[in-house]
Amino acid sequence: MAQQNYSLTELLLLLNKSDYMYDFLTSTPIWLLILYGLFFVFVAFFPLAFIYSMLFSWLHQSGRMKKLLAREQKVAGIVGGDNIHTLSNPINLGEISKCGLVMTNITVSPSWWQLFLGNIKSIFGGQIQSYDKVLAYGRAEVMQRLREQALGEGWSEVINVRVETSMVMNKVKGGQQNKIGTLEFLAYGTGIR
Amino acid sequence: MEIMTSNTETIPGFRITKSLGVATGSTVRAKHIGKDILAGLKNIVGGELKAYTELLMEARTEALGRMMMDAAQRGANAVVNVRFATSSVAGGAAELFAYGTAVIAEQE
Repeated sequence: MAQQNYSLTELLLLLNKSDYMYDFLTSTPIWLLILYGLFFVFVAFFPLAFIYSMLFSWLHQSGRMKKLLAREQKVAGIVGGDNIHTLSNPINLGEISKCGLVMTNITVSPSWWQLFLGNIKSIFGGQIQSYDKVLAYGRAEVMQRLREQALGEGWSEVINVRVETSMVMNKVKGGQQNKIGTLEFLAYGTGIR
Repeated sequence: MEIMTSNTETIPGFRITKSLGVATGSTVRAKHIGKDILAGLKNIVGGELKAYTELLMEARTEALGRMMMDAAQRGANAVVNVRFATSSVAGGAAELFAYGTAVIAEQE
């Protein structure tokens, strides 16, 4: 069977010769064209985004974890230990002149691929590792931000630290949470100096 | 006068001489639709959604500010045992509520 190999320019010439595209574009009303365009964008966008999520979300995640670890070590080097704790009395009792609330937050969500894995895993039950990673990252990050903020604002110690979880950004649809899975972590404590 | 805030029941190094009741502050915030769409795109790879983080932090700071104004009107110089509460109102709007006990504290 004879196979014809067209170069790109030849293909473009062929397209120009056929008036089909031209007729299609001129005869269809503009709003219908826009509708077709949107339809194609959506049809192409979701599978491509899903594949991107499948291939690259682990890369983004490991990068974030590495950065976080470096920051934790840096703060530990400056403070010489940890400057936040959950006790209600300060450990290094000196002259205390001032106190104030220190708070930080982070909103995290699993990637599409992780949501997909989690949904499959929730059929069988058991530990869902893909969500585990996201939550562990969120908690570690919010604690680290609290340490950094305490350093930046000049508090020598942060006492009575609490970490709260809320799902405030989720829309409530008929009593059910939506499926994006956005979580907010809030860490707060009393800074003293 | 600056108001001290604390989430402990007593402030270390201070003595509470008078309680002036519960000081409260709240705010309701909704997100920008453009930011919502961008956050939806960010959601593909997961991780932090900065738009929501900032929005919630701004709202919480405002609620805390209102609580401190309430305490100042009561004549307090400190608010102890501060708590936060959140609730989700319809359509992605969030209510953030901060409350604590307004007190007069003296340095020991």
